[in-house]
Amino acid sequence: MTTPSHPADEAAELLPIATPARTRAALRALIRPDRGLALTGVGVLVAATAVGLLVQPLLGRIVDIVADGRPAGDLTLPVVLLVAVAAVQGVTTTIGLTRIARLGETVLARLRERFVERALDLPADRLERAGAGDLTARVTGDVARVAEAVRSALPEMARSVLAILLTLGALALLDVRFLLAALLAVPVQLLTARWYVARALTLYADQRVANGAQQQQLLETIGGAVTVRGHRLEEQHTERGAGRSRKAVELTMRSVHLVLGFYGRLHIAEYIGLAAVLIAGFWLVRDGAVSIGTATAAALYFHSLFGPVNAALVLLDDAQSAAAGLARLVGVTDLARPGTGKAGPAGGARPSPVPPQRTGPRREASRAAVAVDAVSHAYGPGRPVLHEVSLTLRPGEHVALVGTSGAGKSTLARIVVGVQQPTAGTVTAPGDPEDPSVVLVTQEVHVFTGALAEDLRLARPDATEADLRRALSTVHALDWAEALPDGLDTVVGEGGHRLDPARAQQLALARLVLADPALAVLDEATAEAGSAGARVLERSAEAALAGRTALIVAHRLTQAVAADRVVVLEAGRVVESGPHEELRDADGPYAALWRAWSGSRTAPHP
Amino acid sequence: MGADTAGRGVIRRAVAGQRRDVAVGSLLGACHQTGEALVPVLIGLIVDRAVVRPDGGALAIWLVVLAVVYTLLSYGFRFGARAGERAAEQAAHQLRLDVLRRVLAPHGGAEAGRPPGALVNVATEDARRVGAVNMALTLGIAAVVGVVAGAVLLLRASLPLGLLVLVGAPVLMALGHFLARPLEHRSEAEQEQAAHASGVAADLVAGVRVLKGLRAERAAVDRYRATSQASREANVRAARAAALQTGLMLTLTGSFIALVALVGGRLVLSGSIGLGALVSAVGLALFLPGPIGMLAWVGAELAKGRASAARIADVLAAPGETAGGTAEPAAPAPGELRLNGLGHAGLDGLDLTVRPGEHLGIVVTDPADAQSLLHCLARRRDPERGSVELDGVPLTELAPAALRSTLLVAEHDAQLFDGTLLENVTAAAPAGADPGPAMDAAAVDEVASALAGGTGGRIGERGSSLSGGQRQRVALARALAADRSVLVVHDPTTAVDAATEARIAAGIRRARTGRTTVLVTSSPALLAATDRVVLVDGGTITAEAPHEDLVRDHPVYRTAVLT
Repeated sequence: MTTPSHPADEAAELLPIATPARTRAALRALIRPDRGLALTGVGVLVAATAVGLLVQPLLGRIVDIVADGRPAGDLTLPVVLLVAVAAVQGVTTTIGLTRIARLGETVLARLRERFVERALDLPADRLERAGAGDLTARVTGDVARVAEAVRSALPEMARSVLAILLTLGALALLDVRFLLAALLAVPVQLLTARWYVARALTLYADQRVANGAQQQQLLETIGGAVTVRGHRLEEQHTERGAGRSRKAVELTMRSVHLVLGFYGRLHIAEYIGLAAVLIAGFWLVRDGAVSIGTATAAALYFHSLFGPVNAALVLLDDAQSAAAGLARLVGVTDLARPGTGKAGPAGGARPSPVPPQRTGPRREASRAAVAVDAVSHAYGPGRPVLHEVSLTLRPGEHVALVGTSGAGKSTLARIVVGVQQPTAGTVTAPGDPEDPSVVLVTQEVHVFTGALAEDLRLARPDATEADLRRALSTVHALDWAEALPDGLDTVVGEGGHRLDPARAQQLALARLVLADPALAVLDEATAEAGSAGARVLERSAEAALAGRTALIVAHRLTQAVAADRVVVLEAGRVVESGPHEELRDADGPYAALWRAWSGSRTAPHP
Repeated sequence: MGADTAGRGVIRRAVAGQRRDVAVGSLLGACHQTGEALVPVLIGLIVDRAVVRPDGGALAIWLVVLAVVYTLLSYGFRFGARAGERAAEQAAHQLRLDVLRRVLAPHGGAEAGRPPGALVNVATEDARRVGAVNMALTLGIAAVVGVVAGAVLLLRASLPLGLLVLVGAPVLMALGHFLARPLEHRSEAEQEQAAHASGVAADLVAGVRVLKGLRAERAAVDRYRATSQASREANVRAARAAALQTGLMLTLTGSFIALVALVGGRLVLSGSIGLGALVSAVGLALFLPGPIGMLAWVGAELAKGRASAARIADVLAAPGETAGGTAEPAAPAPGELRLNGLGHAGLDGLDLTVRPGEHLGIVVTDPADAQSLLHCLARRRDPERGSVELDGVPLTELAPAALRSTLLVAEHDAQLFDGTLLENVTAAAPAGADPGPAMDAAAVDEVASALAGGTGGRIGERGSSLSGGQRQRVALARALAADRSVLVVHDPTTAVDAATEARIAAGIRRARTGRTTVLVTSSPALLAATDRVVLVDGGTITAEAPHEDLVRDHPVYRTAVLT
């Protein structure tokens, strides 16, 4: 009745993480199409920074004019030049930053699109092994972290690094001894950066984990508030929430401590450098090597370095965490694609030691819509689930698959659809063997965020409004759908209008109608609703399945009553097969199930 | 307006609760800002006193002064910011707990009109923003002191130059702000749209199994690409606006410095100020935009804090689902439940007595009616007409929390919580009670054997590592282990296979022997194990007899439970 659970001793097999070399290569490949943009962007920013460096010498020039007591008219030229520098610097900075942002956003979009494409293409069993959490964490946390770096860290970092390099160059131009004096600050800054980054990475990772845990705890408690109150668990959950919150606060305070310690050390570096530059100025002016104006310019240069140096160093950990996020994204985009590069269903052919799973129509199966031939499956050695199961469905036939939990019903359903590869045996399904005309609807409902109509169009992108209404009407969902605040344009899903499980499942059935497959497989598609809701859903399901071949994994035996044929699966083997009445009256496993379900010794005949 | 006043109250409490840290943070922050203002002045002084006419002794003295200033500003910053952050975090923590307590309060009502995600946002983001008001306050006070310190220093050096910088710097900031305003506005709207795009990716990945079942991977990727490109364009536009603002401020600041240099240079030449004053003025002109910009930022933070505080106040003041009721049920409660002409929503005049110790089945043909009945029994709603009585006392007179310690309504969609299987089963159980019988009755032993770690295995957030049927069984075991005098269960086995369901039917009977138990369900297996079944059709009771009799004699009942 379930998607297979992991064996007890096997940890989830996480998706790969790219090596630093591989990440760099992938990054280069992502940037390559926009090389021009990158070069001009950086070039313009270099020009902007270089022009900006004329400010201090011009101010120095003014100091010299004043110190020499020259006429006031001499001030005009440097002042006009200062204004011109300001204007040029403003324009070039705007252009450079815009280009860099365009580059960053384009590369980011390329990366996240490639990631989503590859993630949705992963074979189902690979996804099962990895667990949904890993992928979700990457698509939310890591994409956000890289995006954040692209948006705020990248431009700031680019400007700061350029400013530092060019300012140091300018100091050297004034007099190389000013540069040497300024460089006295560098060892302290480097040590500080190393000290900081080593601690920041783990601390921030812990902090993210703690914030995530707090968020999850609150969501669980608040989402389950009715249960909490009903069971008198208020104290327990307040305590839990308080504990998570305290933990998050404590970690935040620790990182505050760290950042402040970092700045404290940088202040020391600032002082050392500034004092050294002033002392150098004192000597050089005394020896007549430079003018007072030059000494002033040098001091102002160094003072203007504080901002960029602090910015660049504090961005180091953003850059590091973005690099870690990038490696986790590239790890997925780098995965070998199944099949021949065509993004398709997970059942696509791919080289593997497993015998070919999907064969073209074969002679003995030519009259069958579906032929399952001697299919066996095991989730790892010693965990067999199916034993040589063979099953044929005639075109249009509705077959109900029943049996106790763990009998292998869901596994068989997934194999028939092709989202799971069997260990042995073959399945022939209707349609092109590469792209069979099959749809699986399970009890796992997911309403995609966005307009209701857009959710439905996932099944058929070119569906017209009339098609959508027809599909909804088929599954008896049109009335409530039209009654939503904005009708079919109502935003549903996370953060939108919430649909109860029964309606969400009707939506899934409407998608099935739109996809219009020859074979539909329903895996307990009515289980999540209450019993009264289940009846409504069963009617919807019946309407959705009309005219299709259908395999229905059923726990409510009413579904078995309605089917053309019932197949009973026990411990991975077919033990009974036949119409409901026949099996009910025989003294087999199905009759026992029926008695148990209907709650009576003398089974009433509906 | 009411929410605004209440919101101010929330902020006042958040600040007052941390007043010591806020005061310390402001004081030390002021030291830092003053120090930052002094650095460029000292550079000017050192050039003037020690470099123009080289004087080693003066240089040494002034470098010591510079060191003292650096020490003050560094420590002021370090300990001031720490106090401010602590005040922010502590206040946010307190607010978070206030919101959580309000949501979990027995009368409920905080969730009305607010999805869980929105409430969590109030408890995290809004609480954080209100807490951040404390930090903003300390920085704001420090920035004001910084501006004043800069002003005093400048005016002492030269009145006209000081006035020029003091008037010019704010005008410059205002000009930049004014010119950038339309850009900021646009970029905010665009960034909102961009944030939406990242949600779409997470949503598609969360629904990947559904997409695969539907073979809609291609369609999903195409849709995501369109969203991603729209987001890219919005972000590029936003970045262009931000770049334009940066460029604009650079030009304005640069021109202002030129103006200060021109005026200052002329003043020195006319002999009214010294060379050092010019250098100081230029340095201060470069410094002042810092604290002034800080003040603008503080203003924005305070506005955000006010909006968040109003939302928090709104949640804290949300009306309860029910009101009144302070009595406690008798202990031990005999467990007689009586409906007297109960009318609520679709229910119309239900009269029913559940005897102490009876096992009663209730089949309700309309799911909405079943929901109304359960809401009234759990006192999540007070009935519109008639009453529900527990051992002769109307539920409206009982305190909801006390009522629920005696009567448990286990709803169909009851939620499990992250933790071990055993922790979930025993969550509501009396301390030290043996969970074995309840687990056996609900067939949780099978769940345990399939779970890594058995009863000690973690079941994940909301029990996500269990299947629907397994979750139902664990929730049922929890309700049975709670051992209340009266237990009402709603559809506990809809996702459980027929054989297991039959086992559970017998298990419930065994576990609840002699205690009042009501099963609101249409499962024939469960109903067969009750003493008596009541059929509620069209909002009224239309039949009342044992299951077997009703199956045999009553066509509506047969349709309701067997098809």
